[in-house]
Parts: sequence; structure tokens; C-alpha cells
Amino acid sequence: MSDDALLSSLLSAVAAAPEDVPLRVHVAGLLAERDRLTEALQHCTHALAVEPGNPAALAMLQRLTTLLAPQPESPAATPPPDPSPTGFDWRQAEEQVADIATPDPADHLIPSPTIEDIERPKVRLSDVGGMENVKQRLEAAFLGPMRNPQLAKAFGKSLAGGLLLYGPPGCGKTFIARAVAGELGANFFNVGIADVLDIYTGASERNLAQIFEAARRAAPCVLFLDEVDALGQKRSHLTHSSSMRNTVNQLLSEMDSLGGGNDGVFVLGATNHPWDMDSALRRPGRFDRTLLVLPPDAPARAAILEYNLRERPTSSIDIGKLVAATEHYSGADLAHICETAAEQALAASMEAGQLRPLTTSDLVAALREVRPSTGPWFATARNVVTFGNTDGSYDELAAYLRKHRKL
Amino acid sequence: MNTAAERVAHLRLLGRLDDAEEQARSALAAEPTHPDVLCELSAVLLAKKRFDEALAAADAATGAAPEHERPHRLRGLALSAMGRHPEAVEAGYLAVSIEPEHPTVATAYAEILQRAGRLGDALNVARLVVTMAPHTADSHFLIADITSDMGDMVTARAAYTEALRLDPQHALAQHDLAVLDLRARRPGRALQGLMQAGALAPGQSTLLPNVAAVLWRLSWRLRICIWIATIVIMTASGRSAGQHTTVAQLLAIAALVVGGVLMWHSSRDLPPQTRPVLMAALRSDVPLAITYGALALCVLALVATAVTGFALFGAFIILVLVALALLAVVVGLFRRGRR
Repeated sequence: MSDDALLSSLLSAVAAAPEDVPLRVHVAGLLAERDRLTEALQHCTHALAVEPGNPAALAMLQRLTTLLAPQPESPAATPPPDPSPTGFDWRQAEEQVADIATPDPADHLIPSPTIEDIERPKVRLSDVGGMENVKQRLEAAFLGPMRNPQLAKAFGKSLAGGLLLYGPPGCGKTFIARAVAGELGANFFNVGIADVLDIYTGASERNLAQIFEAARRAAPCVLFLDEVDALGQKRSHLTHSSSMRNTVNQLLSEMDSLGGGNDGVFVLGATNHPWDMDSALRRPGRFDRTLLVLPPDAPARAAILEYNLRERPTSSIDIGKLVAATEHYSGADLAHICETAAEQALAASMEAGQLRPLTTSDLVAALREVRPSTGPWFATARNVVTFGNTDGSYDELAAYLRKHRKL
Repeated sequence: MNTAAERVAHLRLLGRLDDAEEQARSALAAEPTHPDVLCELSAVLLAKKRFDEALAAADAATGAAPEHERPHRLRGLALSAMGRHPEAVEAGYLAVSIEPEHPTVATAYAEILQRAGRLGDALNVARLVVTMAPHTADSHFLIADITSDMGDMVTARAAYTEALRLDPQHALAQHDLAVLDLRARRPGRALQGLMQAGALAPGQSTLLPNVAAVLWRLSWRLRICIWIATIVIMTASGRSAGQHTTVAQLLAIAALVVGGVLMWHSSRDLPPQTRPVLMAALRSDVPLAITYGALALCVLALVATAVTGFALFGAFIILVLVALALLAVVVGLFRRGRR
């Protein structure tokens, strides 16, 4: 097969499987060899859009940009430096600044969000064990209208605005956000407070603007703002920090512009303390929809326990018994229980000199050591529902607390 | 302050104490004696109420930069929280000697003196703080806090009011003013203040116990009113308590009307959210719930007297009130012992 016949065949294969990243990169390489750089670049860009962090595609991109860059003039054409003594004296200039300390680059490094942070999650809501109520609410309030924009429009439902996930820590808010991105077939951009907050005046606002800009470029994209209460604290609490107040203002402004011509960017926020957020962030067009993510229900607990035990030697584990004894435990607590029980079984195995699999009694013993970490959160939540639920924002939480006799 | 210390301070101000501690510790791994980072770590640990560790960090910061005020101030605050008051006062004094014109330093010193029980000295320092920062709500809040401890309710009220004028969102001032009202036997206003404080910062853990305290106070008033009404009805009925008497009927009706008017008067300014708060407070305190249940029975007995004219229902009321008094004494002793 001649080279061009090979290329034609590969191009047909790319047309048949446009998401095949290695194939794209290979084709881009062949095109580059034939000096068809623009076409090669197109394939490379497509590969990176499918799999943003792919090292081969990144290497190819670097190679292509080098080839496409205008070549510097040859050294022979460069005029020689002026040897005249009347020219600028570099040596003297260097001596003049010799006593100035070289700045520490680490101290001046202002992190900026990059496209490498964006991924395309494969998880779907069906991968979330149990939590049917959350899934139904998510479908009704967010995913359904997103999938059926015409219907939503007919019923006057706006697609602008974001969704705020709140609940006790360790209950899977991030996983659910990732699953939402998977459901929407969108890119997922996970932003933590460290990605935004910066001590330099104006830097946090700039970081936030860059993040939203990157999300718009990567549309369709789920922009997930983890611990969003830290970025959007009540401005009345920030009287001593104009920098942090400006960050809140920037977030408000970016959220507002989502309602405009920024289709395809879905903002999801997660917080353990929605009551600490500035009320302006909860207005229409911003985080106007909220979803309470509670500790896993019984089917979810069973799924989490099974997942955490799947690669450990076990013997007749009574999952039902454990599920019944772990109400109000978060997903992280359940993982911790399995970890603690595994440590105990390992210690017993080492003592006995032979492998002793994990049993229900190991897990029950671990249960006595690990208390649910959601307790303090519910204590605060009870106060919030009691004193701060004047507008009904926390009705869902109030109903849960009442049902479980915590209110 | 260096970059790492500023980053820790940033996280601390945002309430991300775990992240702040982690940042501080990783910065200290590279530079273990950096005074700014040590100070920040100490401040984070103080906020996390890990006073021993906060003191250790402050001690290290003092060793690294004895000429700075902040290590001494943090040492003083940690020692004060641990109850080592003479050492705390000494450290606080050292801090204000180094930086005498700084309101934050003076505020810390006043707090240390207050916790050491030297309220007069604390008040003098707090007055200096107000002269340094007269337009800051926290300065007036400090005066209010100290004068409240001194029992000077008039100055405390004026200072809390001024703090709230300067910063109407000052939840602590709102809360403490409500507590002042409770101590001044103004349960209606106290309840109103607690509701406002709860709306500003619903996460405060003392809100519900203080609402319960208001309800306890109100329950005593109710008991006294019901007791007086019952005694009057029974005395007026005399030997005819077991029979229908118009006097008993009229007195019971009068007692119910007066009680109803007083209740309306005390609760007329309360926000609509009050009812669920009161229910939550009752659910959180079983003896209080029992007390209100029993008082409801007493009111029903009064209604029965008003309908039937039998003053003998008063005997039931007296029995219930005596039982409630015993319950209150037992609960009071138990709770005092636990404290």
C-alpha cells in the first residue's frame, strides 16, 4: 500500500471513529510528515477536545505549533552586535543591579486555571448507588429541562442559572456533580478554592474570570465550584477584606453573564454551609435551584459497603445488618469503617500466621469505633432550619430532620 | 508577612481551619522557625480550640521573633484560654508594651484581663480601644461584654446598642443584648432579640438553649399568675369550693382574660417564625416540655372552673404547681452539678 493510500484509508477510519484519539494523533503525524500542517493541527485539536490531557496529542500539538511558527531569520542575516564603545554598556548595567535580590519565582507564581483541569467523566447517575430521591429531583429540576430545552421553554422554565448541591460533608456531592456532567455528555471542570483564592489583590477575581472563560471555551461544560461558600461568603461578613468582597462580586458577575450568551456552561456548586453564602448568589439566574444531598440511604449504603469490600477477602458479610446499623453515616464514614475493619482483620491474620477474611463482626466492631461524622452538621442544620428558614429555602432539610426526629 | 503566612491567614479568615492548618504545617516543614507562619498556626489552633498546641506554636514564634507583639499576644490568648491567667496577663502586657497604639492588641489584652477576672482593668483598656477605633462595632462590643460581666446593665445596653448601630449585622451583639434582656427579666424582648440574632447567624449553638432559658423564665411567671388566681378563687369560694359558685366562675373568667391579655401583650412584637423556634426549644428540653404540658393542664382546670363554677379544680392546680416546683428544683440542682 502506497503512503497516500494508507493515509486515505486512515482518514476514512477517522471519519468512521471520530473519537479515536490514538488514531487521530497518528493521522496528524502522517499529515505533518507530508507538510499538511493545517490539517494535522485540526486532527490534533479534535483529539485534545475528546481527551484534553492526552500526552501524545499534547506532544503532537507542541510539534505542530513549532513547525507552524514563523522561522527566525538565519543567524547570517542577523546584523552583528555593535562593537562600538559608545553603545550601551551591558557589563556596567549588570554591575549596577548586582545587589538587587533575585525574586523567588515561587512567591510570584500566580496559579492560573488551565484546560488540563477539564475532563470528560464517564460516570452516569446510574452509577450512583441508591439515592433515588436525589436522582429524581436532579432529573426534574436540572437534567430534564437541559435535555428538553423546547419543552422547558414552553413551560417558561429558564435554562440559565446554576444548581447548588448542599448537605453534610462526605456524602457524594462531587460524585453527583461528575455524574451530572456524564449525563449531559459535557466536559467537567472541577474548581476548588485553591484554584481561585489568591493573596494578591485582584488575582482571585482574575482567576475566577479565567476559569469561567475556560469553561465557556470548553462548552458544553459542567463547571463545578467546590466549597462555593468560601468563594461566595456573605459580604456583610467580609467588611475587613475588600479583596474577598471583590471575589464575591466577580462570582456574581460571572454567574450573571451565564444567563446571557454563554450557552452550554452549567454551573454546579457544592457546599456544606449554604447558610454562609451571600444571599445574592441564590437569586434567579444564579444558584436558583438547590438540591439537598443527604447521607446515603439504605440501598446507597449497601452499594458503598459492597464497593469498599470488593477487593478485600471477606467471608459471609451480612450487608443488611450493617446497612441497618449505619443510618446517618456518610459515604466517607462507611469507607472508614471498611478500612478500620480491614486493619483489624489484617492484624488478626498476622497474629494467626494465615489469612483470616473480613467478617461481619469485624465490621460491627469497627462501627463502634467510627461515629457518624454528620452529627455536628445536623446540629447546625437544625438551628438553621429553626431560625433561618423564613423563605422556605430549607424546607427539604426541615422535612428530613422532622422525619428523623432531629427537629 | 510572607506568602505562606498570608495564604494561611486568608484560609483562616474564610473559616477553612483544616486547610489553613495544613498549609501552615507544610510551610513550616520548609522553614520551621518562620515567626509569621508560626503565629498563623497558633491563631488557627486557637480558633480550633486546641490551646496546648496553640501555645506551643506561639512559644516557638516568641523565640523566633521576641521583638514582635503578635507572638506575645497569641501566647497570652492561649494561656488565658487554658486558665493560666497570671502568665496570660504578663504576655498580654508585653504585647501592648511593644505595640501600644494598636486596637487589636489592646482588645486582646482587655479580653485576657476580663477572663482573669480583673474587670476594672479590662474596662480601662476597653475604653482605650474605643478611643483608638471609635467607629468599629467590635470596640463597643468589648465594652458591652465587660460591663455586662460587671453587672453594669445600663452601660452594657448602651454599648451593645452602639455596636448594633455601627454594624446592624453584628449577630453576637444582638445575641448578647437578648441575654441581657433575659437577665433583666424582659423575656419578650429577649425572645425577640434571640430571633433576630438567629436570623443573622443561625449557626450559633447557644441560641436554642437561650430560648429555652427564656421559656423557663416565662414558665415561672405563668406559675405565679396561676397560683395567685387559684388561691384567690379558692379563698373567695370558701367552704363552697365543692359546689357551683358564681364568684369562682367570675374570678376564673377574669383570670383567663387577664392572662390572655398579658400573653398577647408580651408576644405581640414577635416575628412569625417564633412558633417553630419555641416548639424546637421545647423539644430540646424535656423537663421544660413537661412543665408547659402541666401548665396547659392548669389552664384547662381554670377553664373548667370558669365553665362549671367549681373551685375544687384549684386543688388539682395546686398539686400540679407543687409537683412542677419540685421538678424545677431537681432539674436545677442536676444541671448545676453537671456544669
